Amino acid sequence: MNAVEINGLTYSYPGAALPTLTDISLRIEKGDFLAVVGNNGCGKSTLCKVLNGLIPHFITGEFQGEVRVGGASTLDSDVGTLAQKVGYVYQDFENQIVRPTVLDDASYACLNYAFPDYLERGKKALCQCGLEGREEEYIWQLSGGQTHLLALAGAVSLSPDVLILDEPIAQLDPMHADRIYEVLRELNQKHGKTIVVIEHHTEYIADYCRHVLLMKDGQVQWLLPTGEALQHVAELEACNIFPPQVTQAAYRLQKEGKLPSGAPLPTTVEEGRAAFSALRCRLGAAPAPAPRPAGQRAVSFQDVSLSYRSVKGEPRTIFDGLNLDIRKGEKVALIGSNGAGKSTLMKLMVGLLRPQSGTISLFDEPIGAKKAEDLSRQISLVYQNPEEMFIKDSIRADISYAMQVRGLPDWQARTDALLERFQLIKLQDRDGRLMSGGQMRRASLAIGVALEPGILLLDEPTANLDIATRREIVGVLEDMKDIIQTAVIATHDMQLVCQWAERIIVLRGGRVVADGTRDEIFARQDLVDLVGIRPPEIFSMARALDPQALCYTVEEFTNCFQEA
Amino acid sequence: MEHMMSKLSESILDKFSMDFLRSQVLKNAYGNDDTVIAALDPRILIVWYLFFGVVPWFVNDLSFLLGCFLLVMVTTLLAHVAGLVLFLFALGVFSQTGYLFLATLLFGGDASAIPPLLVLTLKVATISLASVTVFSGLDPDRLSNGLMWYGCPERLSFSICYAYRMLPMLMEEFQNVLLSYRLRGNPPAHDTLWGKVRYLIYQVKIIMESFYPLMLNTAKRSRTTVEALELRGYRYAAVNKTVKKIKLSALKVSYNDLLFLALSALWVALCIFCSTLF
Repeated sequence: MNAVEINGLTYSYPGAALPTLTDISLRIEKGDFLAVVGNNGCGKSTLCKVLNGLIPHFITGEFQGEVRVGGASTLDSDVGTLAQKVGYVYQDFENQIVRPTVLDDASYACLNYAFPDYLERGKKALCQCGLEGREEEYIWQLSGGQTHLLALAGAVSLSPDVLILDEPIAQLDPMHADRIYEVLRELNQKHGKTIVVIEHHTEYIADYCRHVLLMKDGQVQWLLPTGEALQHVAELEACNIFPPQVTQAAYRLQKEGKLPSGAPLPTTVEEGRAAFSALRCRLGAAPAPAPRPAGQRAVSFQDVSLSYRSVKGEPRTIFDGLNLDIRKGEKVALIGSNGAGKSTLMKLMVGLLRPQSGTISLFDEPIGAKKAEDLSRQISLVYQNPEEMFIKDSIRADISYAMQVRGLPDWQARTDALLERFQLIKLQDRDGRLMSGGQMRRASLAIGVALEPGILLLDEPTANLDIATRREIVGVLEDMKDIIQTAVIATHDMQLVCQWAERIIVLRGGRVVADGTRDEIFARQDLVDLVGIRPPEIFSMARALDPQALCYTVEEFTNCFQEA
Repeated sequence: MEHMMSKLSESILDKFSMDFLRSQVLKNAYGNDDTVIAALDPRILIVWYLFFGVVPWFVNDLSFLLGCFLLVMVTTLLAHVAGLVLFLFALGVFSQTGYLFLATLLFGGDASAIPPLLVLTLKVATISLASVTVFSGLDPDRLSNGLMWYGCPERLSFSICYAYRMLPMLMEEFQNVLLSYRLRGNPPAHDTLWGKVRYLIYQVKIIMESFYPLMLNTAKRSRTTVEALELRGYRYAAVNKTVKKIKLSALKVSYNDLLFLALSALWVALCIFCSTLF
């Protein structure tokens, strides 16, 4: 039996000239674990909102065709009935939570639909989502990953047959991401739920999903079993979806004739072991970049302690006697799990937070003694959430604001140059909030570098971005080398770390637990276990083949592993 | 000395950040759910509040008012009300009547103005503290359930809960916008007196300008919330009688509630008795 059947669906948003979804026909089997992939703006989210009846019941527009969920047409059912068949977890899941305590929120929908056993249902859902024992906690006590599980529990509590998750792990560190997918797998296998995820992390798709649906320009390209779907490397890459690194490497090696063509490409490290078994590691480890002479101290923390007030009980200590130097010219990646203190560290550097004790210095001058104006010329922070950087009603005004209020003589010319550099000329009069994720990120970078600061801090610059936009951001960083001498990036994105960073600082519970080059960090298994960081898949692949190999990118891997 | 003053003003400014306000709001709403007052039945507390919120207006007897004031002071202490709320309360009440007293002195009055002013102060203080006890001692959920039992529409009670949910979010958003201004803006130097005035004007201007991004960002975030509420059946619950019944079935009057009412009544009776004696 099919959980979802769509026949000839065409849908346009109210007032839109072109349909967002065009002539979609689709069957999703009951009990499937399906990944929906596609370019930004190809209609993935719209398709999911069609399934739970928000379209056309809540969001109107032109709707043609038929959507059947569990046998019933969505046109004949109302949103409430459908909500009990299809659960939905948004990408910005924290806005989906409306009640103050965990159990309250998990059972809220059941209460509203008048189930007398609403509390039991909520508890059961929490249990299924791995949140048992947290019933009485307040939602702001939860970490990002737990909040996501709670949003999931809220949907699960109505025991729907189908669960839809929009980019469930975009903002999570690998450990939390694994947790989410383990929970989803259990819901799928033990409780027989049909699960649909919008996902562009293909490593997770390869590990967990059964089928993949590729969408392009509002149409379904194909729906295939995962192993087969990930073989379509060229087609996926054309849609800005990058197959797992193992698959990419095998694809390139096949093209170069080093692997027999025609054999199926491996999609996981396990499959890679067999597929690459004929290859031997030729080169030693790639030469580590020569340690550069120690430059001037750009940022320095001396005995910095900081704690936050909490709603109840003792203040929470973030840093206790932190000492850290970042030197001029370094490219630093700051890694660690959610809540390790990465964002707080950045806020301290720009003077948004003040430590309770200790000093923070920029170029050997304590920041307390500096004027705000001098500070913003030397260091700049680009927030994790680009929307928070937009304070004016157009991108142009936002970029020029800092230069204008400082009365820089050529601020208009410089604004033009920045707009040009970040490809924002056409968008310059639009409100930043209404742009796409990639455009917003570019605009926020332009705002961040407007004053040409010597030090640039980026908080999660690649969160929520597809791979193409991510590459673009990395390109921009390379491009700005002449202006930005020192850059610090806080991120969970280990591919970015390996590609870009020269020095990696690992934070755990507000302490620096490791500090060094990528070889020094990723080669240490104890550290990987302790902090829950995960090297890029290709690195694990190389190590699985040869424990001595240190390959961080697909290029390094294909260069390093040759026929025996 | 000057250094100390600047240190002091800095620490006061630091205390009064949005972050602090946000934590106080949360603390006020949910931080004290384990107090004696929070455990009481909301319906009983609302009745109690009706007495102490209304009766003092119509009574001018000093000893009765003093008695009531003492009682609500005790309940406020029992409710562990957040510091900021108490501070605002003190500032409000005493700036009102203190200023009246100053005006009286200025226009040729003398100390004889104190007793009537004291009566007014006590009335205002009693009523305010009673409100503080009920509205910040109870968490918003219990309060709205209590109101619903007395027949207030479900939308009102949901709004109370939701406002408390939204308020920290709104403040967080506001804080972010202000931080952006602080990072990129160029505030006037404020070493001289004139500089300080200009700095103040600048701050006010920034707060006004923050309104536009604040509203847009919040609106963007609440789009998801609105859809999620729809999916989670908020509109069904609003018209469904069974849901109301399920919600209210959690309310129970216990011995503690009766004890609380009895003690309050006894104390009031005692005050009335005293006031007839003297």
